[in-house]
Amino acid sequence: MISRKLTLALGAALIAAANGIALSGVAYNRSGEPESRLVLSQRELERPWSWRSNKENSGLSLALEWRVPAADSESDYSYYSSHGGIPAWLDEKRIAELGFDVERAKGDDARRDKTIAQSERQVLVVLELAGNAWQGAIEQARQRLAHQQSLRQASPGAKELIDGEKRAQERLAREENESSRLFAVDVGTDLASLRAKYPDRSRYLILQGNLRLDRIYRDKKTVVTGYLGKLAVDRINVPHAMRAPFESMPPRAGGPNDKKPPFTATVAVGQRLEPWIEAVGTP
Amino acid sequence: MNPPTRSEAQQRADDIRVFRVELARLETEGVLQLPPEQRRAVDAHHDGLLAGYAAAFDIDRDTQARQLSLGMRVASFLGALALAASVFFLFYQFWGHFGETAQVAILIGAALGSLGLTVFIQGRDASGYFTKLAALVAFACFVLDLVMLGQIFNITPTDKALLPWAALAFLLAYTCDLRLLLAAGICCVIAYVSARVGEWGGLYWLDAGRRPENYFPVAVLLFATPLMVSHRRFAGFEVIYRVFGLLCLLVPMLILGHWGNGSYLDMPAGVIEGGYQVAGFVASALAIWLGVRRSWNDTVNTGITFFVIFLYTKIYDWWWEIMPKWLFFLVVALSAILILVVLKRLRGGRSQA
Repeated sequence: MISRKLTLALGAALIAAANGIALSGVAYNRSGEPESRLVLSQRELERPWSWRSNKENSGLSLALEWRVPAADSESDYSYYSSHGGIPAWLDEKRIAELGFDVERAKGDDARRDKTIAQSERQVLVVLELAGNAWQGAIEQARQRLAHQQSLRQASPGAKELIDGEKRAQERLAREENESSRLFAVDVGTDLASLRAKYPDRSRYLILQGNLRLDRIYRDKKTVVTGYLGKLAVDRINVPHAMRAPFESMPPRAGGPNDKKPPFTATVAVGQRLEPWIEAVGTP
Repeated sequence: MNPPTRSEAQQRADDIRVFRVELARLETEGVLQLPPEQRRAVDAHHDGLLAGYAAAFDIDRDTQARQLSLGMRVASFLGALALAASVFFLFYQFWGHFGETAQVAILIGAALGSLGLTVFIQGRDASGYFTKLAALVAFACFVLDLVMLGQIFNITPTDKALLPWAALAFLLAYTCDLRLLLAAGICCVIAYVSARVGEWGGLYWLDAGRRPENYFPVAVLLFATPLMVSHRRFAGFEVIYRVFGLLCLLVPMLILGHWGNGSYLDMPAGVIEGGYQVAGFVASALAIWLGVRRSWNDTVNTGITFFVIFLYTKIYDWWWEIMPKWLFFLVVALSAILILVVLKRLRGGRSQA
């Protein structure tokens, strides 16, 4: 049995070493020029529901609201912020390039399900802020509104068509003014090549996320695609010195009348692709 | 020679108690009558030993004390868990009110302070109950420390954090003779090794559980540890290694016996499930055999438990749908009687040997 002094020394050395390694990683991540730096708003950074009313946790972190451009423009869900989905741009060729066994996932034998169920892996996800993907989502909402308006004009008295047009108008307004403008536009495994493809560091955020195989019915045939899941870091802690603007905001109420109080936050992503908040501003 | 550990002192005290009871019986039955001076010498020697052990290790000197000790063990276990949870919630409730530097200082200070407190209490707590409380709090503080650093600085979750947690748990377990901390350390090792094996197999580390075979290497490692490293001075440690090793082997086999798609093997799911059902029977039977041979009660009991689970799940698969319920339960009862007969024979053979 080792002496108590030695126990204390070994334990203290272990605690110091573990903390030292973790904090060195943080220092390395934040060293030099950030890998990317974006100014996000209340549209992309969601306050927690329970903060201020939750007496058990006094910390504050903001959830990164990001979206996946859905292939199905008619889908109700394609208009909302989400935390994953099946990107329209991810086809079988692209998935095969990422190293997934597409042929096996397309097979008809029992091994197909196993291949799909066990395919999840970590990749780099490129998130575009207020770019073409967002414009595409607005355009989809406009087309949907135009379609609903034409239907309503053909049958002016139909209540469900009047409601449908109203929903489409609300959807367009939400897309233009409230929903997140941060869209996943690409995935890859090599940071340098992704950054070469998306050089604007103030518009393209690259983070680690999970991708797994999936099978869907598209264009009247079953195709293998990918499901983009959770990001490795999807909540960003608000430093104590920057909490003041959030202290005065009303709690989130939920529902259609829940207006998000405006704010901006400069989010930097460092060498290890770990984000942090550099500044918070309110109008 | 003084026994060096608390468990050895307790064992000697138990032996003395049994010896005294049996000696009294032999005297009553007229089989043995020690001369008075020898009797006094033996009594004095034993009294001295018991007094010494009680002073040094706070051992149970009689049956009543032993029963109370069991209650104290349960209370200290529950208290340790509750205290660890309390530390977690205490920090969560107030951490937002401090700046990052203060948060880090509090986390590191709590981890170091609770470790120091554990070592301090260990030197003054012969019973070990309060040391156990303090040690689990020290472990919880260290876990909280690294988890919260991850939250404060948005660090990508990693399985590497399991290594220092395991190291501290083992350090406290071996230096303070605490089985609870050994179990905590083993759980960290199980999670780390299975995550690594899963990652080598192409899985994301948090998804290691999706392929139960990831737990087989750590099962071998745990079961082999007490065979390679003597734990004579640490009562109950070998048992914990063996039981966790068997759980890491038999639970995945049980799962794969009903979920072939979870296997790495490139075979039809039905074949894999059949194979693992057979392997489960063989492995639990081998555990019973090895346990009987080496007098490892823990191994025998774990083997029997899993053999019965494997047997009953098969009986359920085969006959639940096609048999009337009375007949199904009769078959279950008969199989239980059969197991009893087999174990009785095993015990009889063992007694004769």
